[in-house]
Amino acid sequence: MNPLILTIILMTVFLGTMIVMASSHWLMIWIGFEMNLLAIIPILMKKYSPRAMEASTKYFLTQATASMLLMMAIIINLMHSGQWTITKVFNPTASIIMTLALAMKLGLTPFHFWVPEVTQGISLTSGLILLTWQKLAPMSILYQISPSINLNILLTMAVLSILVGGWGGLNQTQLRKIMAYSSIAHMGWMTAILVYNPTLTMLNMLIYIMMTLTMFMLFIHSSSTTTLSLSHTWNKAPLITTLILITLLSMGGLPPLSGFMPKWMIIQELTKNSSIILPTLMAIMALLNLYFYTRLTYSTSLTMFPSTNNMKMKWQFETKQITLLPPLIIASSLLLPLTPMLSILD
Amino acid sequence: MMTYIVFILSVIFVIGFVGFSSKPSPIYGGLVLIVSGGVGCGIIMNFGGSFLGLMVFLIYLGGMLVVFGYTTAMATEQYPEVWVSNATVMGVFLLGLLMEVMLVLYVLKSEEVGVVFKFSSVGDWAIYDIGNSGVFSEEIMGVAALYSYGAWVVVVTGWSLLVGVLVILEVTRGD
Repeated sequence: MNPLILTIILMTVFLGTMIVMASSHWLMIWIGFEMNLLAIIPILMKKYSPRAMEASTKYFLTQATASMLLMMAIIINLMHSGQWTITKVFNPTASIIMTLALAMKLGLTPFHFWVPEVTQGISLTSGLILLTWQKLAPMSILYQISPSINLNILLTMAVLSILVGGWGGLNQTQLRKIMAYSSIAHMGWMTAILVYNPTLTMLNMLIYIMMTLTMFMLFIHSSSTTTLSLSHTWNKAPLITTLILITLLSMGGLPPLSGFMPKWMIIQELTKNSSIILPTLMAIMALLNLYFYTRLTYSTSLTMFPSTNNMKMKWQFETKQITLLPPLIIASSLLLPLTPMLSILD
Repeated sequence: MMTYIVFILSVIFVIGFVGFSSKPSPIYGGLVLIVSGGVGCGIIMNFGGSFLGLMVFLIYLGGMLVVFGYTTAMATEQYPEVWVSNATVMGVFLLGLLMEVMLVLYVLKSEEVGVVFKFSSVGDWAIYDIGNSGVFSEEIMGVAALYSYGAWVVVVTGWSLLVGVLVILEVTRGD
């Protein structure tokens, strides 16, 4: 893409999310969402194949439907409260419709069907932006309306998302689909704690973004989109292999890595609020996630995956440049001792 | 009939939308949009918004829809699809019409309509009182406020339009 156009479009994606996060008028928030959606379409279509165009169309249709639902919820809120300010949404109908619209934007079950298909059809960098940056805006709105969200609906969607994210990722060998199902599961964890303690949602979001950024950067560096292709990295860049191991285990939520911190805090908050079966179920279902992460580490770092002899040398045109990988690695694996610092987030 | 004019116009509005959402050829979609746009202008005018109604006719129908009509005329096929030519289009149109007719009967028969929000009767739907200030027309004051207090909104919408054009050019550019 022409660099000037790419700059303008990336700036508009950024501006759209910033407008959503910084506005106090519901109409401006809707405008921010639409601007974000409009500007990310050419980024999703960078590869220019029928697959990418289909993925962009699916993304556009689902997000536009979610924006329309959000607009309807905003207007119902306006009818019943007479004002446009973002506060907690007092009318239950508007609150439910708004929660469903934002769940569609995030990719929570039962609106998760677009996430694997869209993520698979686009390039790795576009998938990175889709799974990290695009989650910020809806989550910030959920944070702001969190006192009024219907608990039953949100918890149902969260638990089902963790289940679908775990189960759906089990049969995948394509890395982008694995990351998509991982995103669905993590969104489930984030929204489960939203009503009880929204600060932990933000914490989970932060750590999830860092880990997903790291994973995508490692995939981009080894130019691999399938498990088989990833299993050849031991030959070209053995250090990347080790880093993949550490980051994947962190994503699975294993102590002593930083991915354990959000899960631990979330389970602690849920049990403080006297729900015990729910966090038990969530922790058990996170094992499904852990299974396919460890399967990925098994094929990548722990064994020499079977392949033909002339495939053993991984060929690559040029090494892709990865931004900020060392700080990301540190952040996604070593942050657990900083957990007592959470007390400043109140 | 004049007391129910808004209700009648909004029913025609919805029927128009059903007409083009059942996906005949875009030429016929544009035709239905003209009708819907005109009817929408009528709805706005009934609430006292004469400026905005004229805006709909001038800019939407006379600017955007004319350009849309020309581009569709350039790209149209030899036998464009009408509502009656394809069973699917006909079926969707009839289904939409049926649902609208059922809704209208429901509104007319029952005392209250409580589907998503409550109307007490058809009369309530017809006249929403927006508060009489008496001296200024609030609608023109709103447009003026857009350019004074709402300057940031103008900047954002202007930027969105620019980016919209760039995005469309980028998407249709091809390789």
